[in-house]
Amino acid sequence: MSTDTLEKESKTKEAVKEVVNNSESSGKTKIFLSKLLAVGKSILFACIGLLLFGGFWSFMSSYTENQLPGPEATLTVLGEMLADPFYDYGPNDKGIGLQLFSSITTVLSGFLLGSLIAIPVGILMGASKIGKQIFYPIIQLLKPVSPLAWFPIGLVVFEDTGMATIFIVFITSLWSTLINTAFGVSSIPQDHKNVAKAFGFSTWRYLRKILIPYSLPHIITGLRLSIGVAWLVIVAGEMLSGGAGIGFFVWDSWNALSLEKVISAIIIIGIVGLLFDKLFTLIENKVSYKA
Amino acid sequence: MSYLEIKNLEISFPTPKGKYTAVRDINLSIEKGEIISIIGHSGCGKSTIMNAISGMTIPTGGSVELMGKTIKGPGPDRGVVFQNYSLLPWMTVYQNIYQAVDAVMKVSKKEKNEIVLSNLEMVNLMQHKDKLPGQLSGGMKQRVAIARAFAINPGVLLLDEPFGALDALTKGTMQLELLKMWNLSGRDKTIIMITHDIEEAIFLSDRIIVMNDGPASTIREIEHVHLERPRNKIEFVKTEEYITLRDRLLHLLTDKFSVEDMGIVYKK
Repeated sequence: MSTDTLEKESKTKEAVKEVVNNSESSGKTKIFLSKLLAVGKSILFACIGLLLFGGFWSFMSSYTENQLPGPEATLTVLGEMLADPFYDYGPNDKGIGLQLFSSITTVLSGFLLGSLIAIPVGILMGASKIGKQIFYPIIQLLKPVSPLAWFPIGLVVFEDTGMATIFIVFITSLWSTLINTAFGVSSIPQDHKNVAKAFGFSTWRYLRKILIPYSLPHIITGLRLSIGVAWLVIVAGEMLSGGAGIGFFVWDSWNALSLEKVISAIIIIGIVGLLFDKLFTLIENKVSYKA
Repeated sequence: MSYLEIKNLEISFPTPKGKYTAVRDINLSIEKGEIISIIGHSGCGKSTIMNAISGMTIPTGGSVELMGKTIKGPGPDRGVVFQNYSLLPWMTVYQNIYQAVDAVMKVSKKEKNEIVLSNLEMVNLMQHKDKLPGQLSGGMKQRVAIARAFAINPGVLLLDEPFGALDALTKGTMQLELLKMWNLSGRDKTIIMITHDIEEAIFLSDRIIVMNDGPASTIREIEHVHLERPRNKIEFVKTEEYITLRDRLLHLLTDKFSVEDMGIVYKK
């Protein structure tokens, strides 16, 4: 073969390569575009939903002759609230940011304490029949009780409204985590247990390498549900306890007859709840595995 | 005194309807380095015998002795390969083997690492060591499971239908893979496996244990395989020994060999 033909051949090869590369990159752009289209579509539909809701809200507002403030008036107030969220003019007049911070701190403290109890007890319940027989009846009995009913008990025990609020969040955070953890642990497949048996895993190794990794997705689901309910309860709890927090803010604004502030607070509560949920969904996806 | 002695083994389970005897009167002496297959219909107590040897089930009667010592629970002297691979899905291939080695062996971290790597090398999975089991094919998963069992360097390997879920081609490769591991470790490991595949049993074993149907099943017959090793997948099926053995085993396991045996009258 002469050098000429060789050169030609290599050129055609390169050309072929280029074509392949081109089609590959155009394939990638295609995928990217279709993804963009899908995202755009979902945003569009979400906007339609919001518009429908806004329309209904405006209608209700005009129906009540502006007794119920409309979207525009509310958003103006919300804007003002967010413009200076951290002001502090004494115990009954704090910015929305400070109130929110107070609520989140309370929820996280109660939730953390609750989870610290619920996860180990849940593991115990899932791993041993006796553990289940000991704890399950108590859980069945106490789970349906509204967390607010615990408030007086918290007051008596801690003699402090702030602590009592943390206490009700603590109680609220227990149930979903307990039940999901117990379910996760009790559903560990026999196959995995056999591996531990056959290779003589110590209890510690079994716990770390089989029990926890297997039940972690269930535990996180429990935590996600728990923090959702805890966030629901905090608003009511702070209405009872007063003094600080987003729940107190709602109640205080209602007493000051500022419904714009009430609705703004509702919007903020919703967004924070959504963020909590998204955060835990993210963790859930991180720890889940493909069997 | 044999390497592994099963004496008058009986295993029964309490059920709501009373005692259920899975196997009884099992007597078997197995030598070091022997390859044994247990064959029989589903529910004939094959797995029960395996569990008694692995120590996962404690016999209700008789005993299983390894080197003169009664087996009272699982131990590092016996490696198990489960039917459904039983890899931990949240751990890499490397970690799956490492955790077993780490749990069983009392050597330095560096040596444990070397053991894992050399066993991965033997089953040709070096380039997949950081993958999760979910990313592997069935054959690869089973190779990991075999590497894990070999890694703890047990005297006895117990395989419960190890290749049952694999396609025929992969199955053939895996049988050779198993024999390769057996050869590389000096042919002194005793292998006991459950199988439903007559050809597989003949190809691999020195002896084939045929079980009666359950409940309360016993050993029906023990067939010796006198084929020279190394056996050749293509050649061994042509031998007189294979053909006689296969017929014998088929007759032991079933009495229907054609649709005519099932009452169909074939008109030409």
